[in-house]
Amino acid sequence: MRPLLRRQPFLASVLVIALTVGSLLAGAGLAPAAETPRRGGVLLAVIGADPPSLDAHQESTFANIELVAPLYSTLLQLDPYHYPKIIGDLATEWKIAPDGLTYTFKLHSGVKFHDGSPLTAADVKATYDKIIFPPQGVRSIRKNAYTAVTAIEAPDSSTVVFKLKFPSASLLANLASPWNVIYPKKYLDQDPNYFKTHVVGSGPFKLKGYTRGSTFEGERNPDYFVKDRPYLDGYKFYISPETSVRAAAIRSGRAWIEFRHLPTAEVEAIKKQLGDKITVQETPMTGQWGVAINNTVKPFTDVRVRKALTLGIDRYTMGKVLYSLTGLKNVGGLIRPDSEWGMAAAELEKLPGFWRDAEKSRAEAKHLLAEAGYPNGFKVVLKNRNVKLPYQDFAVFLIQEWRKIGIDVENRPLETAAWFNDGQNTGNFELIVAPTVEFMDDPDQFLGRYATGSTQNWGRFSDPQVDDLFSRQARTLDPVERKKLINQIEKIVLENAYSMPGLWWTRNLVHWTKVKNYVAPPNHYTNQKLQDVWLAEE
Amino acid sequence: MATNIELTQPAPAADLAPRLSVLEEVVQFVRKKPLGAGGAFIILVMLGAAVFADALAPYDPYRADYGAQFARPSAEHWFGTDEFGRDVLSRILYGAQIALFVGFTASLAGCTIGGLLGMVSAYLGGTVDLLLERVMDVLLAFPQLILALAVASILGPAVQNVVIAVAIPIIPRAARVVRATALSVKENVYVEAVSALGASRRRVVLQHILPNVVAPWIIMVTAQLAGAILAEAALSYLGLGAAEPTPSWGLMLSGSASAYAEKAPWIGLFPGIAISLAVFGFNLFGDSLRDALDPKLRGR
Repeated sequence: MRPLLRRQPFLASVLVIALTVGSLLAGAGLAPAAETPRRGGVLLAVIGADPPSLDAHQESTFANIELVAPLYSTLLQLDPYHYPKIIGDLATEWKIAPDGLTYTFKLHSGVKFHDGSPLTAADVKATYDKIIFPPQGVRSIRKNAYTAVTAIEAPDSSTVVFKLKFPSASLLANLASPWNVIYPKKYLDQDPNYFKTHVVGSGPFKLKGYTRGSTFEGERNPDYFVKDRPYLDGYKFYISPETSVRAAAIRSGRAWIEFRHLPTAEVEAIKKQLGDKITVQETPMTGQWGVAINNTVKPFTDVRVRKALTLGIDRYTMGKVLYSLTGLKNVGGLIRPDSEWGMAAAELEKLPGFWRDAEKSRAEAKHLLAEAGYPNGFKVVLKNRNVKLPYQDFAVFLIQEWRKIGIDVENRPLETAAWFNDGQNTGNFELIVAPTVEFMDDPDQFLGRYATGSTQNWGRFSDPQVDDLFSRQARTLDPVERKKLINQIEKIVLENAYSMPGLWWTRNLVHWTKVKNYVAPPNHYTNQKLQDVWLAEE
Repeated sequence: MATNIELTQPAPAADLAPRLSVLEEVVQFVRKKPLGAGGAFIILVMLGAAVFADALAPYDPYRADYGAQFARPSAEHWFGTDEFGRDVLSRILYGAQIALFVGFTASLAGCTIGGLLGMVSAYLGGTVDLLLERVMDVLLAFPQLILALAVASILGPAVQNVVIAVAIPIIPRAARVVRATALSVKENVYVEAVSALGASRRRVVLQHILPNVVAPWIIMVTAQLAGAILAEAALSYLGLGAAEPTPSWGLMLSGSASAYAEKAPWIGLFPGIAISLAVFGFNLFGDSLRDALDPKLRGR
């Protein structure tokens, strides 16, 4: 018998990655003990876009959260050093009633907003009322994550209570969302959209200035409620949509960190020039690039055709090829592989499209197409976003693979707004490239899109069994039981090929080594508060 | 009677200009216009590449070889391979098809529509002329590429849309040239004479004005060809032309080239050379053709 790891190259690589990430996290976690943090200095960073608005409750782009997160506090947060551990931010302690229907939070005392007014339970209540029960004309992107909540109460100035109609397995995680920044009630009372253009937070930094298309700056908040934090005097983002400009800024030392991602080719060039002065943290991402199949149009109403599509893609080769070009790397189902809720590789490999033997998959795909009445394949349009990385490269690979089973696919890149409109709003597509990116590996966030009628269900399919399993898993507090339900949902969706996951993303977070104490989490939304980050002298 | 015969007999051709065989004409063109001949040669090579791409290309331009990504130019891959391991030479050969297809159809369509409008405008005159010319003024007010960009972004990225986008800005330019020529021809005494003799409008336009307009029209077509090829490349470069994985020169230059300029410069270098050569060739040929066909410049 051969050793286990040689028989299972995938398992081996997973182990290696897990060990590397683990040691990286541990190493970084220990780093502050080894080096004494230094006070002072302004952190220079680059970012690829302007925020559509400053209100994090209404936006879902890194361009918003990376800029404003340091200005605000949240109720809970994900541990900056140990993703996905949940720790308090404004909350010092919390209790969940035995029936799972009441959550009680105690708040830090003496927290002040940047305008000098005290932060109390009333502000937390007002903020969550806005998120969960938004008034007319106010957008709340993440409202659906809180369907269990019936009311929020503030019995005294330092206590907040959430009342639920059913026990929710994901509520605590969703209260740690970096997007749910706490606003002062008095401004929300004036205008619920006030924070689209204004900032009054309680975070480690105060807004210093923002010039659209150019810079965004914050300065140290001397009254921050965490003692001796932040270490930095401030932070400054340079805004440029050009990847090459951002890479050049890092390379020339005009900026020291790009929090989202730089392509491998740029990273190689930067490393070659700067050597030890540069640190690259490669992390897996809570994001997957796949294809939404419109289940309401022919020939995709036929399960055999949908199955053929997913069988036609050799995901293991795709991971090898696209990794160096785009960062798309890991083969997984609807939940991130190697995460708490992800399906085991051995189980996944039994599902169509995930078989190890690519030739066998292709033969089966052709067989299914012939059975469905398309022995010579067919022509179809794949709509896509007109962004090179990773959208276009992903499409090139898919089209190449589908040619091998006789499906002739035309790639049609669209402007972001048109792509969103066709995919999400009107369903005017046959196939469309559809990414799935969330702030953490939360099953409610990742699986909600497969439920009937969800706005994120671009494929427009409906399976009562999936709906039932989804609502059951959301209420199941026992993690073992919950995982079983989650795996069942994955199995049903993948076996019926309702939707087609492609690859899970990884990212390169590039920074100068003198930027200390920043541990890259597996997405670019969390750990953006910068309170623990410090700059080493050169 | 004898005098009559003498009169109708054409003067000996040799006294005016020697009648040459096609081969002799070509030889003379090469000797007098070596640059133009060079241009024609480039065009011929490009045409050959486009027509015989199937036979010439060493690989399928769409076939990705994941074992040979970023391969340097070598005996196996003369122009190297791109980030997906696709053969750059094969993609350039097939790219010639798209470049020529867009170039010829856009330039021909634009010049034909523009030419017809110019003729109508010149012959009918009056209100029709006034209205048509103001429309042309509006179109001319936009820089060529900006107008193509606007049209392409409305229609969406696809090869046939690029043809339309590139053809539209050509229309007013061709219309202007043809109208001006037709106007001057129209005022000639012989046109007045045939009209006075009772020739139909159709006969006047088709037999007397049209032949005189053909020469500038042909020059217009060749002159716009280079611009059209460049516009196709520019649109694809900006993501409004052909979409991946179509082998289009502009597209090859856009996505991969800048990202991998340091690692694999050949990905961008060869399509860039192909675009430059094609535009250079058509421009040289167009210029020489104008010189050759323009009676005022002939012999200089």
